[in-house]
Amino acid sequence: MGHKNIPLPERRRLRSKMYKKHNLANILTHWFNVGMWLLLLPTGIAILSSPRLGLSPLWMQEMFRNVFGGTANLIRFHYTVGLLWIFVLVFNILVGFRRYFVPFAATRLLLDQDDIEWLKTKPLQMLGFMKDKELPPQDAYNAGQKLYMYVVIFGTIGIMVSGVVMTFNQVFPPLLKQIAQPVHWVSVFSIVAGLIIHVYMGAVFPEEKEAFFSMFSGKVSAWYARAHHEKWYNEKLREEMAWEDLVRQELARSAEQHAQEQPATAD
Amino acid sequence: MKRKNHYAFVIDVARCIDCRACQVACSVENHVPMENTRIWVQDLGVQGEFPNLQHIFVPYNCMHCEHPPCTEVCVSGATYKDKDTGLVLVDQDACIGCGYCVDACPYNVRYLDKKRGVVDKCNACAQRLEVGLEPACVATCIGGSRLFGDLNDPVSKASVALQNARNIVRLDYEANGHDTDPNIYYINLPNMEQLNMPELFQPLVSQSGALPRAPKYTLSEQGWKHVAVPLLAAGIGASFLVQAIYFTKQLIEGEKEFEE
Repeated sequence: MGHKNIPLPERRRLRSKMYKKHNLANILTHWFNVGMWLLLLPTGIAILSSPRLGLSPLWMQEMFRNVFGGTANLIRFHYTVGLLWIFVLVFNILVGFRRYFVPFAATRLLLDQDDIEWLKTKPLQMLGFMKDKELPPQDAYNAGQKLYMYVVIFGTIGIMVSGVVMTFNQVFPPLLKQIAQPVHWVSVFSIVAGLIIHVYMGAVFPEEKEAFFSMFSGKVSAWYARAHHEKWYNEKLREEMAWEDLVRQELARSAEQHAQEQPATAD
Repeated sequence: MKRKNHYAFVIDVARCIDCRACQVACSVENHVPMENTRIWVQDLGVQGEFPNLQHIFVPYNCMHCEHPPCTEVCVSGATYKDKDTGLVLVDQDACIGCGYCVDACPYNVRYLDKKRGVVDKCNACAQRLEVGLEPACVATCIGGSRLFGDLNDPVSKASVALQNARNIVRLDYEANGHDTDPNIYYINLPNMEQLNMPELFQPLVSQSGALPRAPKYTLSEQGWKHVAVPLLAAGIGASFLVQAIYFTKQLIEGEKEFEE
């Protein structure tokens, strides 16, 4: 890879230099989401007890029913936590809509030509083909992450809408409640399919260690940014250079002003 | 393993006079809304040829099957077969009223309570059984057509009636891998030969169609079972496999966190 040609001192400098990737709102919402999923996923799986579908093991169904005190209480716990989850997520998105959500959707979410190239190459490389081909440079999130983000966004909407339909069972017609159940399940497990990779990549995979810690500190090193998210890194550099130019101009202007004022006071 | 109780209904068809007091008693006891009913009496009309005529009425309620198709489809286990009594019950606090079970029941004994958004059905008046009373329909039956009892107890009303019955018919549904094994025993049906009715089951076919019918499965339930589950199982399996391969590789090769 290209970054191997960089001399060691420069690499060390890049590693100690940090860029901010996630803001606090993002980090807190992420970990809130993690906590809610840890509560909701096991209870949700335990609720599923249709023998015809056979989706969850019997010991799990019985254990959770015993712990929570019966099917009704288990379901009550599940939808109470679920409603809290919906409320906080929707609240966060609405409150931070202009400040966080719109810029995020506009700059980090859309797939470009490089992303499509990445999606064509990466799966083949994982299977052992085209090893010598260089992957196109990636944004703050790579194409795989972007794709998973769509699964998460649409899955979350699916979970929320179908969950609300099933929770308020007095309001909605039977047909909607029938459809809501598979929709709820499909949405959850589409997310879970990607979640396995997401958790492995984020918490275990050695090359992406920084990504894990960035979910606490919000910061990644310039080295990591350059190696994994080159386009984003270049953008950051451009921002920095523009800022430096601005500072230089400012300094020059103030020096000029100073020089103009200086003779007047000398006399 | 033997259950504590094996509750069963025994219905003496010869004794039903279609007064429908059972229906009223049931609705009052269980607060059944006016537009619905948990139990009903089917009027099969006058059967046979003169002078051997008989007007036949068949009382129905939940069969409390040994292998109920309705509990098979319930996603949350809100409807279940009670482990102690063998009654098929609905936990209405857990039920969301989707109606998967309504379609699956071969005997049409379930209905959707639209106002409460739940499914309702005969529970053999479990609240009365708890305090040692008979179900309301049985207690009120003037002709003594509806009987109820524990088949594990040889001297219960149901057991005795079965022992003394002229003939016994059950509306068993045995097809497509199902064997409902219902717990309503219809006894003392009119003498078939005398009435010139060759098929024993014939009188128990209702006007609204043959009962039992084949269990129906809603489109969403079938799509879930036959399309969504295999697809997502494959997806999750593939995802887990990729992760497992990379993790094994990582363990074998050791971590290269920093490329100095």
